[in-house]
Amino acid sequence: MKITRDEARRIAELAHLAFDDESLDRMAAEMTEILGYIDQLRDAAGGGGAPEDPTPLRADVVRPGVDRDAVERNAPAWRDGHFLVPKVIE
Amino acid sequence: MNVSECLAAIDRLNPKLNAFLRVNTAANGKPIAIKDNIVTTEMPTTCASRILSGFTSPYDATAITRLRKSGYAIVGKTNLDEFAMGSSTEHSAFGPTRNPWDTTRVAGGSSGGSAAAVAARMVPAALGSETGGSVRQPAALCGVVGLKPTYGRISRWGLVAFASSLDQIGIVTKTARECAELLGIIAGHDPLDSTSSAEPVDDYTADVERGAKGLRFGVVREAVEKLEGDVRVNFDDALRVLRKGGAIVEDASVPAIVYAIAIYYIVANAEASANLARFDGVRYGRRSDHSRTVRDMYFASRGEGFGPEVKRRIMLGTFALSSGYYEAYYGRAQAVRAKLRSDFATAFERFDFLLTPTTPEPAFKIGAKTGDPLSMYLSDIFTAPANLVGIPAIAVPSGFSPEGLPLSLQIMAPHFRERALFRAAAAFERETEYWKREPRNVEC
Repeated sequence: MKITRDEARRIAELAHLAFDDESLDRMAAEMTEILGYIDQLRDAAGGGGAPEDPTPLRADVVRPGVDRDAVERNAPAWRDGHFLVPKVIE
Repeated sequence: MNVSECLAAIDRLNPKLNAFLRVNTAANGKPIAIKDNIVTTEMPTTCASRILSGFTSPYDATAITRLRKSGYAIVGKTNLDEFAMGSSTEHSAFGPTRNPWDTTRVAGGSSGGSAAAVAARMVPAALGSETGGSVRQPAALCGVVGLKPTYGRISRWGLVAFASSLDQIGIVTKTARECAELLGIIAGHDPLDSTSSAEPVDDYTADVERGAKGLRFGVVREAVEKLEGDVRVNFDDALRVLRKGGAIVEDASVPAIVYAIAIYYIVANAEASANLARFDGVRYGRRSDHSRTVRDMYFASRGEGFGPEVKRRIMLGTFALSSGYYEAYYGRAQAVRAKLRSDFATAFERFDFLLTPTTPEPAFKIGAKTGDPLSMYLSDIFTAPANLVGIPAIAVPSGFSPEGLPLSLQIMAPHFRERALFRAAAAFERETEYWKREPRNVEC
């Protein structure tokens, strides 16, 4: 599977990652090499065995959340109990 | 070792090894070191990433809470590959950890700081984390014991998520008995982690003196047939030691094991791409100053905050889950993973344990693999299968290469058979006593 620069750019958009052109080209080449190795799975036998048990769900009960002051101390920008972010609508 | 002995050793050795990212001089209790992707309230948690700069967790991981209740004190947080993604600790934003046996070589990874800290006797024990071998591989390269317990044996609450179907907290110690004692403290169900198991916590030290007589070990043929050089000689020696102790050692077959790394780098990266979406500069950690809109801020914060290996994995994982490729990559990987699980189950019908070396080679030179991601990934070729299948596995020192680098035997057991695993590991240790040797180079 060859990853082109355009394909790498499309994936970077999905992943919310900023790259310059040079890094994007390097990334595309590395991904191509790694996916070349992974392509051996195409011919591998699959399936078999018992299905895995599903993850048990816990009871839906209210419990205390994280302390709000501690959340504020970690926030890059905060005002009146809210996280501040740059404008959302362009 | 008490806390002040640990602090003195860290003071003396850490400038050479870079095993600790932070030290708590106020620690008071039985000393232990913690990999810096397990959250603690008294010290920041960085995951060795710039994107978490300034972050201190408002709560403790469940494993930490349990350690504190048993009188343990955290003497420091140890270095790792950024977000536990790597096999050498070179992908840390704070520089590589060096191997105590040869400081020009890597300590392994991603729990390289924890392994080097125990190997250099800076602490008696440390917690690490495993996704594809991140405790066993550095333990092997540093000549100490490393355990990956059964998936769900230890709560993952407070372990920063990398790949949730594979992640598990692990333990690094000098001996199997110390490892068993610690597992007994931190194992058990936790309502905060639905994937933690309700299976009762065993008495893990109960059988450590019983020896290997009569135990059945299977040598995984597909994994070892291409072994060569020092690792081959050492592995064959290890089999002889087990046989001498009265164990039955025979050929076993796990055909799908040859696909483990290919499966792993799809499944782990797919899960990572989802788990790491939370680091966006909004609620904690680093936020880029170079953005006009919130969308720009996501791209810039993540672009500036994550290192190259983390970006590579997010990209691969996003690709494997993207429309048009999902079935061909993620779907295919999960199908072959099911086959691997079934192959292991079949092999365990005949054997109590399965054996491979822990790593395909001893510690490599710093910088030797950083330009070649695929060759770095293949460092986990023997360890990743246990994560994909969810079984427990332990790395035990098995001797030294001619240049004096540690080598290691990996013992794998069926789900929740940790007690038996410690019995086998302790029996091997008693015959060999490699754990008594200490690295000297670091003092030069």
